[in-house]
Amino acid sequence: MALVSLDGVGKTYRGRGGAWEAVRDFTLDLAEGEFFCLLGTSGCGKTTVLNMVAGFEPPTAGRILLDGREVKGPGADRGVVFQGHDSLYDWLSALDNVAFGPRLRGMGRRARRAHAQRFLELVGLAGQGGKHPSELSGGMKQRIQIARALANDPRILLMDEPFGALDALTRATLQGELSRIWAGTGKTVLFITHDIEEACALATRIGVMTRGPGGTLKAVLPVDLPFPRERTSDAFMAVFRRVHALIHEEMARP
Amino acid sequence: MNGRAATVAGYLAGFALLFALWHLAATLLVRSALFPPPLPVLERAAALIADGILQEQVGASLRRILQGFLIGSAAGIPIGLAIGSFRPVRALLEPWTEFFRFIPAVAMITVAVIWFGIGEESKVFLIAYTTVFVVVIATAAGVGAVGRDKIRAAQCLGATRLQVFRLVALPATVPYILTGMRLAMANSFVTIVAAELVASNDGLGKMLWDARLFMQIEDIFVALVALGLLGFATDRLFRLAIRAFAGRFNPTM
Repeated sequence: MALVSLDGVGKTYRGRGGAWEAVRDFTLDLAEGEFFCLLGTSGCGKTTVLNMVAGFEPPTAGRILLDGREVKGPGADRGVVFQGHDSLYDWLSALDNVAFGPRLRGMGRRARRAHAQRFLELVGLAGQGGKHPSELSGGMKQRIQIARALANDPRILLMDEPFGALDALTRATLQGELSRIWAGTGKTVLFITHDIEEACALATRIGVMTRGPGGTLKAVLPVDLPFPRERTSDAFMAVFRRVHALIHEEMARP
Repeated sequence: MNGRAATVAGYLAGFALLFALWHLAATLLVRSALFPPPLPVLERAAALIADGILQEQVGASLRRILQGFLIGSAAGIPIGLAIGSFRPVRALLEPWTEFFRFIPAVAMITVAVIWFGIGEESKVFLIAYTTVFVVVIATAAGVGAVGRDKIRAAQCLGATRLQVFRLVALPATVPYILTGMRLAMANSFVTIVAAELVASNDGLGKMLWDARLFMQIEDIFVALVALGLLGFATDRLFRLAIRAFAGRFNPTM
């Protein structure tokens, strides 16, 4: 059985200016342990899909199941890494940010800090736990977000263009780290991006969306390349070209 | 530490310049018995302190400010949190704040005296009145300004509504609350003087009024300088508190 399944999901916003259809008839099954990249141009509705899976926004059509149960709102079984780092708690140290989930479940101070320390180590920030978010770089803040989500042991990790605001070098480093962490933890990941290379570097499957409004899945491509991925290899380039062609077909569509 | 020493040196130099200009203006420019230079004023202050009079007046004013300010803040913070958190409460109470904030505390002196007499209660009431609306508005604005992602992050870590409020909305609002309190404290100084001018048996405002009555021009200036220094000191204390609580997560403050 699929871990997450989206069944004919649609989202239409209604406002004073009329109705706006962001997502239309979106159907997808995510298997346990896979790294699924949802790729699309800006405005195609990919973030809306993630927000619906996270439970932040209810779908206006279809339904979303997690472990066979319908998603009704946000919950601890779905960890989210946000694009901006405004989601971190500035008044808490990095360690206490990571320990936030266990704290909500009533884990004692010592236990949750020891627990959080392990996840800081996992994201390569073992010595930075005492610092506050304002003292950390953009890349470090995204690492903290990843550690915070993982420390809560969710069934699936939902990542909304988490590296979009980082410089190219930091982004590449974090992509490598994320790949390693994913391989080590076996977490299921739904990763939103508009960066073709990023999708090819990380995903076990890539879903390409049609252009919005009313975005939906255009195609799903399995990526059968070994990790760590060699970005200059012919095999990688071949995958890149296929995805690139699909995206540009969408962009050229009138 | 070097920066702090420089700040203190700057304050001292600034005050020295102010007193120097005052001295020059009074001795060279105005040369009137109605505008004394700083030296006789300081001498008069020393005499008043030696007699224990100045401390008494300052103490009376500060006590009222502190009592009213604490009552006003204690009422204003929960009301502001409720307005910021619950739409129906906002709809119900926002007209109140928008109505009362245009009736200045100074205008309420008359009713305060009629209701509470010229004793402590009327002054404490006025300070509480002037404090509460500023704190309510600042607190409610703070709750409204909590980033959406901060709340969403807590929700998908499993937080209940109460946990979101207690562990996210409340701490994120603290800088706004402190800023509102700082503003309210400045208003309290304005209000207390006005209230004591009109109806009081002691305090800095009463001292100003009596000095005018008996043409004790130095006493007037002692009271004015005392007000300025007290306000300056309390505002610095607030800034330190805001830095200590909030500076780490809000570098703009």
